Amino acid sequence: MENISFRTTVLPLSDRLFRLALRITMNRAEAEDVVQDTLLKVWEQRSQWEQINSLEAFAIAICRNRALDVLKRAGRNTKSLDEVDDVHSAMPNVQSSMEAREQLSLVRRLMDSLPELQRTIMLLRDIEGKTYQEIAQTLDISETQVKVYLHRARTKIKEGIKIKD
Amino acid sequence: MDYKYIEQLLERYWECQTTLEEETILRNFFRQEDVPASLLPYRQFFKEQDEMASEHLSKDFADKMLQMVGEDTSHNGGRQEGNICKARRLTFVRRLRPFYRAAGLIAILLTIGNAAQQSFTDDPSPAAKKGEVVVDAQWSMGNDSIASKPEQQSAELAKPVKDTLNTLTR
Repeated sequence: MENISFRTTVLPLSDRLFRLALRITMNRAEAEDVVQDTLLKVWEQRSQWEQINSLEAFAIAICRNRALDVLKRAGRNTKSLDEVDDVHSAMPNVQSSMEAREQLSLVRRLMDSLPELQRTIMLLRDIEGKTYQEIAQTLDISETQVKVYLHRARTKIKEGIKIKD
Repeated sequence: MDYKYIEQLLERYWECQTTLEEETILRNFFRQEDVPASLLPYRQFFKEQDEMASEHLSKDFADKMLQMVGEDTSHNGGRQEGNICKARRLTFVRRLRPFYRAAGLIAILLTIGNAAQQSFTDDPSPAAKKGEVVVDAQWSMGNDSIASKPEQQSAELAKPVKDTLNTLTR
């Protein structure tokens, strides 16, 4: 890896990391703190940068773990794919937070109600434009798993939209 | 207008069979105003994706982070990354340039200081006298021949007058 520097390589990842942290914590201030912690952690590891295959994947992994820690500490919903696997079972959570987020569209609430891993995969694919291979490497899972989780997420959104109509 | 292609693309999208390029085509399609009623329910979904993609951190975040890690340092230790400095070879004369400047400045200050001290401490009248003396001396030195001639002439002229006066008084 050549010309790696905090300013030119790490700092440009900030917004991407912020969107990920925001999709997990659902809170801007917490997401910003998570990004700050992540970047400092990456900076602390600067002696290893040359050995890291993808600095972006490394940063995303740290960011996701930090964001999940924030949720755990706050005792909030950290549902994994195994815990919630159905859009209808996720709906009560949507209902409970509906008052606070009344201005959000139903589609947005559907997207927010997805289990964290599905949310993260959907973000990496649909917002950040990552390939299945890149997502698999970043999340340390197989490409097949990525496709399975993404398929579940998209199916839930599609069904949710159909129910609405 | 035929939207069959888009409908097929959308079906493949839900099944995760689309490429990134095809997904971009879908996203661009749903950005336009003219979306048929059959596809309209899905527009909000792609609109939400666009909104999520536009989320970004506050403007001062980058500055804050650079301050936290120290802007001009990098993982390679000596290499600077903040303000890039180019190395230049300095000659011995150029290397001493700051000393020349310092010496020149000191000389100017000393001259001004001396002048100021002299003008404040010395009595103005002797100075004026001194000035006259100097001027006279210069005058007498520079115009010695011219200055001495009138005196000699007057002395020569005065001599016969003195002699006649002496004879008369006797």
